[in-house]
Amino acid sequence: MQPSTTQPIIEFDRVSKIYSSGAGAVSALHEVSLAIAPGEFIALIGPSGCGKSTLMRLIGDLEQPSSGNLRVKSKTPEQARRDRDYGIVFQSPVLYEWRTIRKNVELPLEVMGHPAAQRSERARTLLNLVGLEDFGDAFPHQLSGGMQQRASIARALSFEPSILLMDEPFGALDEITRERLQLELLNIWGSAGQQSTVIFVTHSIPEAVFLADRVVVMSPRPGRIERIVPITLPRPRDFETRESPAFFQCETAVREALRTVERGHV
Amino acid sequence: MADTPLRPHAERAARTESSYPVAGSQLARGLQRALPVVVTLVALLCVWEASKLLFRIPDQKLPHLSAIVETMFSRTQGGNGPLLINQMLLNAWATLRVALAGFALGSMLGIGLALLLSQSNALERGLLPYMIGSQTVPILAIAPMVVVGMGRMGAPIWTAQAVVAAYLTFFPVAIGMLRGLRATSAQSRDLMRSYAANRMQLFWKLQFPASLPYLFTSLKIAATASIIGAIIAELPAGSREGIGVAILTSAQFYNSRPPALYVTILVAALLGVVLYAAVALVEALVLRGRRVEGA
Repeated sequence: MQPSTTQPIIEFDRVSKIYSSGAGAVSALHEVSLAIAPGEFIALIGPSGCGKSTLMRLIGDLEQPSSGNLRVKSKTPEQARRDRDYGIVFQSPVLYEWRTIRKNVELPLEVMGHPAAQRSERARTLLNLVGLEDFGDAFPHQLSGGMQQRASIARALSFEPSILLMDEPFGALDEITRERLQLELLNIWGSAGQQSTVIFVTHSIPEAVFLADRVVVMSPRPGRIERIVPITLPRPRDFETRESPAFFQCETAVREALRTVERGHV
Repeated sequence: MADTPLRPHAERAARTESSYPVAGSQLARGLQRALPVVVTLVALLCVWEASKLLFRIPDQKLPHLSAIVETMFSRTQGGNGPLLINQMLLNAWATLRVALAGFALGSMLGIGLALLLSQSNALERGLLPYMIGSQTVPILAIAPMVVVGMGRMGAPIWTAQAVVAAYLTFFPVAIGMLRGLRATSAQSRDLMRSYAANRMQLFWKLQFPASLPYLFTSLKIAATASIIGAIIAELPAGSREGIGVAILTSAQFYNSRPPALYVTILVAALLGVVLYAAVALVEALVLRGRRVEGA
């Protein structure tokens, strides 16, 4: 992967986002510039209010920039959304409770008008991929939180989007489940034929380091990029990666960047 | 109508049985659920007879339960007519037909209004106060107006009665459905947006299914309200059949035959329970698999 020589898939050019509320205007993002290469795994980390979720939502055209230029696959985010260029995973699974797990995974394909045979074939493949092959006919509330989140990842991958937006997807899970799902996510990401680009918002330093090619450290009031920490740990990564000295070095680098953020604002 | 909705139920029963190895557990659970109802009924009957005994309430004011049952199975028209209970059930059926028509009409109107109001806040602000206002006018005042007015226009009498029932029905349905249509989470809408779903897809795949639990709650309220409406509408209509007519008649003859009024009241109550239970049954079939509130 050589991010420097390829055309970026996502490009922020001095993008700002201001929320106007009753109390006045709040600057959520201030002149953020960032280029993300195709196939890159980017982790966004920072304290609450640093605009990391806003950054992700701007890419997904769930919100619009107040100023600056944002391009997704050389298109406007709106066009990219209409072209179904990204899949999204939230912190809560947001499964539709009236649909079985299989039907939830098929939902995007249904909306996009894929034929039934293709949908069920695709759902079978994905449920296998996330280890839920025996739970296709279960309803969401019958599954544990970790299994629900797996289903939600399968749903996001169902239409093979080139960009995956993940907003603290493992934030509500216990540590053991969390680490297992991180590894599974990397395996899924690595096994996909054409590797998708992942934007992963997190609060956890080890999670960011374990998953990402680059960790984007952000700071609040106004939200901006403080530092970008490249993670050069070899892939494929596994449980042993977390115990290597290089992993600790990367963690330390991210932690120090975050400390600078804190020092500047406390 | 009976076999299509029953099939999924049977499927679920089969699945539940396979996951519960104990045979007959379903029957046991059914009995367990029915137990509180039976206990309450027995308790009520005891209170009835005990208060007669304790407070020395004469039969003229509160007849014995046995007298009510006896009256139920007595013959009308001086011993030559059909059983009183049969006649009452025929009256109940006449009321139920009107109530069902009104329930259907009012529900459709309510759902339609909810769809309209959910389109914009301005529409809701403009129309909702009048909808609320419509419900503060006593139905006793509305019923004669509707019955007489529609009668002059030459409409069959039962349609006017159904309109009165619908008048009581549409409001809870509209409010419940509106609440349901607005009950989706921001993230579940974000998901649809990320799939570039169009308005119809957003409605049919998210908003409508999400609104169903709210809709059914309001339909259950509306079911009993439609019975009340149908009964009230019988009074100015000068009907010859219907449970409302039966209540009036037996009230007139209360002095000579008190238990008859209690029979009609029981049958009227049964009518509401039956319609409520029918809606609850449809609800259970439509919402099967969903998390039950509080379970």
